[in-house]
Amino acid sequence: MALKVFSIPALPRVNNGAARMLPVATTLLAALISVLPVRIPGYAALTPVFTLMAAYHWTIYRPDLLPPLALFGIGLAEDLLAGSPIGVNALLLLLTRTAVLGYRRYFINRTFPFVWTGFTLLTIGALLAMWALHCLLSLAFLDFRNTVIRAALTIAIFPLASFLLGRAQRAVMGAG
Amino acid sequence: MIRLSPQVRTTIQRTTLPILVLLSAAIVVLGKADQLLFDSVRTAVTDTVSPVLDALSRPLTAVGNMIGRVEMMASTYQENARLQAENERLLQWQQTALNLAADNQQLRGLLKAIPESAVSYVTARVIANSGGAYVRMILINAGSDDHVGRGQAAITGEGLVGRLTEVGNRAARVLLITDLNSRIPVTIEASHVNAVLAGDNSERPRLLYLPSADSVKVGDRVVTSGEGGVFPPGLPIGVVGAIDAAGPRVEPYVELSQVGYVLVVDYGLSRFLPQPPQAMARTNRRTKSPGEDDAITR
Repeated sequence: MALKVFSIPALPRVNNGAARMLPVATTLLAALISVLPVRIPGYAALTPVFTLMAAYHWTIYRPDLLPPLALFGIGLAEDLLAGSPIGVNALLLLLTRTAVLGYRRYFINRTFPFVWTGFTLLTIGALLAMWALHCLLSLAFLDFRNTVIRAALTIAIFPLASFLLGRAQRAVMGAG
Repeated sequence: MIRLSPQVRTTIQRTTLPILVLLSAAIVVLGKADQLLFDSVRTAVTDTVSPVLDALSRPLTAVGNMIGRVEMMASTYQENARLQAENERLLQWQQTALNLAADNQQLRGLLKAIPESAVSYVTARVIANSGGAYVRMILINAGSDDHVGRGQAAITGEGLVGRLTEVGNRAARVLLITDLNSRIPVTIEASHVNAVLAGDNSERPRLLYLPSADSVKVGDRVVTSGEGGVFPPGLPIGVVGAIDAAGPRVEPYVELSQVGYVLVVDYGLSRFLPQPPQAMARTNRRTKSPGEDDAITR
């Protein structure tokens, strides 16, 4: 995978405009995909957290091209489009960045299962926090089952998302 | 462009993330404290993005329709037999309905009853849903440009889908009857008992404020009561599906996750009704543009 090419601290310089846009564009696309009306029974409640996948991937491999301001904007846009309490997704994406940046050096140059394990831990933490926050915001004990299934789906789909993002990264940035 | 010294730039880069985290947290709290604060932003963003969502959702709608068509083809024979039987039964009902309509009109004439206001329909396509475990909403591609207004009912042929809570120029948001914040005054048709249908984000909303536990039984039809004035009385919602520890739950007639199109119905009610506090606050907030609300209630 394209995941072994970048090493801390120096990221290869990217001058190509399309390549610089790629992380922001794919994360924005992830936000749009998550609100598309897929007509599968129960899908709406269990939609995987696509933006989390993109934010995780890019924060590990190109944190310079997915700056906090972009995460903030995309998170807010997702909240506004989905009609969910405003700010929650922005907070989630920014905290994801904070968490992943702290451990980034452990993920670089590692095999995919290692990266996936990291994502699994992140997803469990993030969705648990999100559930707690939503309970607090609606002052009610919300059903936990959907959150569990949603986390499982998100973790299960991550390899595919990571593969596609890695492919796009190699194709556009010409590395790997 | 201003040239910043490397130190200043590093400081800015270091502090952006924590500042934005705090800002997001502040927005979460503010958005909770004043639910109307971000409403206009929400409407504006939704309106702007709706053409994109419209385009992206088209293939999904097409696939959904195609699957429906294939399913129909597979069951054509049984479906035909069933429909013929149903048609015979409905023809008898049609006669009954015609007789009743004639009777009704005559009696209304005798009573000098005020005729019910005309109903207008707008058909809209679902272009987005809430995508998450915590809200049940859909976005439709009709807005105030199409004479769709806040508070109107979104229905399908089977029954009630929800209520329009936010209307932009090109798109509107429908709060589904299953959402945590949805409260609809209903009547249990068999016993004429009134209750409130309360969503809890599950697929089957609950019935609240029933006078007694035995006033409903499984299989009872639940329709809008018309109280509170948001909906006209008699809109079908669903049947009582099961009675568990939390009380009776209603199985909606509409398969909400499968809805591709909705009818937005203007029963002409919104203008006679006391505005809910939320809507009132919104009207006050927008006194600067009086034409706007007129356009919506038209």
